Amino acid sequence: MEEKLRMPVSQRVYGQVIYWITVVAAIVCMVGPVIAMLSVDNNVMNPHYLFAEIFAGKSAAEIWQTVGGGFPGGHFYLKHPFTGDGISQFGLALGCGCAFPALIATAIGYLREKPKVYLYASLCIWVAFMVAVSAIGVVKSH
Amino acid sequence: MAESAVEHAPAKKRSWYLESPWPEALLMVAVLIACYIALAFVSFGAETPPGGMTGGRIFMCLFGFFFLSFVIALVAVVAGIGGGVLFTPILLAFTSLDSIIVRATGLVVAMFSGLISTGPFMKGGLANLRICVFCAAAYGVGAFSGAQGALYVAKYLGATGEGLVRLALGGLLIALAFFFIVGGKKIEWPEVKKIDGFTKKLKLGLPYFEQSLGKVMHYPLTRSWQTLIAIVGVGMLSGFFGLGAGWAIVPVQNLIMAVPLKVAAANSGVLLGMGDCIAVWPYLLMGAIIPLFAAPWLVGQVLGGLVGAQILIKIKAGFVRLILIGIMFFTSFGLVCKGLNLLGVIGKVPVVLNGVVFLGIMIIVVRGVIKQIKSGG
Repeated sequence: MEEKLRMPVSQRVYGQVIYWITVVAAIVCMVGPVIAMLSVDNNVMNPHYLFAEIFAGKSAAEIWQTVGGGFPGGHFYLKHPFTGDGISQFGLALGCGCAFPALIATAIGYLREKPKVYLYASLCIWVAFMVAVSAIGVVKSH
Repeated sequence: MAESAVEHAPAKKRSWYLESPWPEALLMVAVLIACYIALAFVSFGAETPPGGMTGGRIFMCLFGFFFLSFVIALVAVVAGIGGGVLFTPILLAFTSLDSIIVRATGLVVAMFSGLISTGPFMKGGLANLRICVFCAAAYGVGAFSGAQGALYVAKYLGATGEGLVRLALGGLLIALAFFFIVGGKKIEWPEVKKIDGFTKKLKLGLPYFEQSLGKVMHYPLTRSWQTLIAIVGVGMLSGFFGLGAGWAIVPVQNLIMAVPLKVAAANSGVLLGMGDCIAVWPYLLMGAIIPLFAAPWLVGQVLGGLVGAQILIKIKAGFVRLILIGIMFFTSFGLVCKGLNLLGVIGKVPVVLNGVVFLGIMIIVVRGVIKQIKSGG
């Protein structure tokens, strides 16, 4: 029988968490635009005006201002969870943040390996910290 | 340490449709088809408000974005680069879309084909998580700074900034295309003569089962510090231009750290997915990622990345690389012209001239492909 290598738990955990969150994010992003077009007024930005503005070459700030009455914040899906663009934004945020839970789970995996791998557990936490800081928007240079 | 964590396990045989990625891929395709059929009915029947885009055109846009993204992911994965290196330059060169919207969406494009390939690469051991986490610690800092820099330039330089960014990206792309032609020689199994003390302490190595050779491969690594510094620079470029950075991460790992070529390519996808989770948030938080615009690009990358990874296992990808170089030269031409136009140096470039340049480049590419096929490449 063919023998294969079984990878360390930490490595498999990272791969699986990222993979499945990405699949879910993709499915959410498939559904979002359908909901947006089903009820065009039930969106932060009406798709008819949104796409017209995008193809007119307007900047993101101008588009949010003219079509949506101002940018409601990156996590606006929390306030508008059932709107088409709220659902799409949730899918994007889910995918863009998937490294955080995966890295935390991996760090735990490294600490459960024998012998414990402190260096890589710390590096995982450092990268997860950077993802969290970036997602919360604490550090801004502009 | 890593070697001790690796276990030998007997391979189990199951029906192909029960093996990942097929169940989830089929589910996604089913949902996708249902969604686009529903979208077509809803969009074509929708009433267009005055000054807005018609529902039919919106449907065509959404479907076109998905389809283009799918093709980009397919080509990019088969050619061994990130999708961002095609997406961002093409949209900046040939559309009048705002550059920050394009670059922000470019990062989404760059990261999601990497994210979806992470699972299989990690399970099979082709990607090495220790190298990825080690590099991501540096890449994230660079990419985050790059993204902040891009937003700063957009805020304070306006139209001049738009022109300069397009010119700089055009220049970078020309250099990259030349690098692929003359300097892109990578080493499949790099030879390590001396392992430095720092790298030895890091214990980065992880053996994996190489299917083409039918045996377990161990690979020594070296020069970790130098790799770390190079990765910060690569991250900055990626975050600023929204390009992704597979084209640079692979040679950095392969030529500096002596990571075997296939492992470096797999690591690059994983690292892009991990690192761009940091770079993408400044764009998302300032509204540069428009959800309804970015969503179909994300879906295309995920499905294209899955299919591309399956194709990659079965075909020789040499000629795809040539097509890619052709696209890069043509896109560079478009970027430089658009940049000079925005800066007021030249007028609008006639469509005929674009056509002539495209034709000229494609003739050279086709000759190259024929030559490669004849020589069995």
